[in-house]
Amino acid sequence: MDRLSRSAPPQGTQDLLFEAARRLRRCEAVLARLYEERGFAEVIPPSIESADVFGPEAFRALDRSGHLLALRSDFTAQVARIAATRLAGVSPLRLYYRGSVVREGAEASGVPRERLQAGCELVGKDDPEADAEVLALAVQSLHALGLSGADARVSVGTVGYFAALVQSAGVGERLARTLSDAIDRKDLPGLRVLCDREVPSGKARDALLLLAQPPRAQGDAQSLLDRARELAPDEASQAALDRLSKTLAVARARSLGAELEVDLGEVRGLGYYTGLVFNLYASGAPRPVGGGGRYDTLLGRFGDPRPAVGFSLDLDALVPLAAA
Amino acid sequence: MITIALPKGRLQKPVLERFAAAGVVPEEDPGRSRRLIIPAGDDARFLLLKDGDVPLYVERGAADLGVCGLDQVLESGADLLTPIDFGFGRCRLCLAAPKDSRIVSGDLARAAEQGRSLRIASKYPRLAARWFGRKGVPVDLVQLSGSVELAAVSGLSDAIVDLVESGRTLAENGLVVVDEILQVSARLVVNRAAYRLKLEKLLPLLDRLEARG
Repeated sequence: MDRLSRSAPPQGTQDLLFEAARRLRRCEAVLARLYEERGFAEVIPPSIESADVFGPEAFRALDRSGHLLALRSDFTAQVARIAATRLAGVSPLRLYYRGSVVREGAEASGVPRERLQAGCELVGKDDPEADAEVLALAVQSLHALGLSGADARVSVGTVGYFAALVQSAGVGERLARTLSDAIDRKDLPGLRVLCDREVPSGKARDALLLLAQPPRAQGDAQSLLDRARELAPDEASQAALDRLSKTLAVARARSLGAELEVDLGEVRGLGYYTGLVFNLYASGAPRPVGGGGRYDTLLGRFGDPRPAVGFSLDLDALVPLAAA
Repeated sequence: MITIALPKGRLQKPVLERFAAAGVVPEEDPGRSRRLIIPAGDDARFLLLKDGDVPLYVERGAADLGVCGLDQVLESGADLLTPIDFGFGRCRLCLAAPKDSRIVSGDLARAAEQGRSLRIASKYPRLAARWFGRKGVPVDLVQLSGSVELAAVSGLSDAIVDLVESGRTLAENGLVVVDEILQVSARLVVNRAAYRLKLEKLLPLLDRLEARG
């Protein structure tokens, strides 16, 4: 055997030593205590799965019998598998997890290949209360780690509105992807050009242009939501907005407020998420430190079509910022 | 504090004019000063860097926002917000080839069928690869850092993908534009997290930057 004494760990991975390891465990413990208090129970799925559980970002390998396996790239898919199989029919389920995921392809932007996560999933409940419960728990996670006030922000939106607009305007899948990409980048000039050229004029087109508008603090969001409602071309788009408004109202009643920004341009993850979507931001981290949303079609892939909503936190980014 | 990545080179002057019109003025003239960080009042500062590095600084949060050409935004692959098109710094990213080349007369796919991949030289390997990929044309990409026209003239490559402003450099070297790949102009790029966390400060600034003087 060659000596490996000078090898660094693979690119995009790291060794956590001593105080860094202690900090991580302390943060995990703080979060685990919070989730247990709120009635969530821990699940520990395996670190490898059949490759088809995950998307193309997963690190894959053949085992000795020729089965294509993948390292975990997404806890939510595993929790959905567990909920849909061993826990089928038990509703509602409140589950949490912590551990690492491995994702290929993002190294160039400085995102590590292996990331430490913690997160929660609420399965079998499809109402604004469930949406707000998960949103609140995500925000409380940041608070529990000592991040609050001006140091924490949550942008909340719904992919339901965009999906309904695209449907109503008769836009094909490829154009929908280009539109959602422009919206996701807040690229209003690009979106305008695309809409003028490719989308038939009408309410749906005007509404699409609204989606690249900047987010509004929750307190000032009513005018944006009212405008979106005026332009809503059909029942599905109305319903998506109603649901978001109700979720925000429940969140307010749970005394969430200052951190929330309403952003109708939160459309990333379309195809996975089906309604509520949110991203968490913390001062000192250049990209979101967590996010989540409602994914009502994922469990169906495992034969148990049940609604679910959840979030995950990026502990690599959060632990260095945490006061704990 | 808002940190702004300011590109050196031809974009610098018009960018500074727009920021000045929006009330953000550097305390020293970046064209003369050798400092790399120049304050602009109590609440903002400029970082001076190459335009190609702007997306990276902003994506990784060393700057909250910056200005660079759309070509640099897309070539970097950086995950950024691009809310404003300034409209200046206009040019086109083009495929160009010697005027007697097969690429100019026939279609690309046929030119590529001559037994080997098309050899393309460019400073924009990502954008070039994506464009040819969409056309289904196999290419052998050579990444250069300057004088890209020379590649097609000297026989290093069959064609080039490069920015074209007036077209004079191409003409003087016997090259012609075969196709246009991208319309470029200067864009404001904003870090995703800064956009949310500093919303109250950034939005008024963005509004002022967008307003044409």
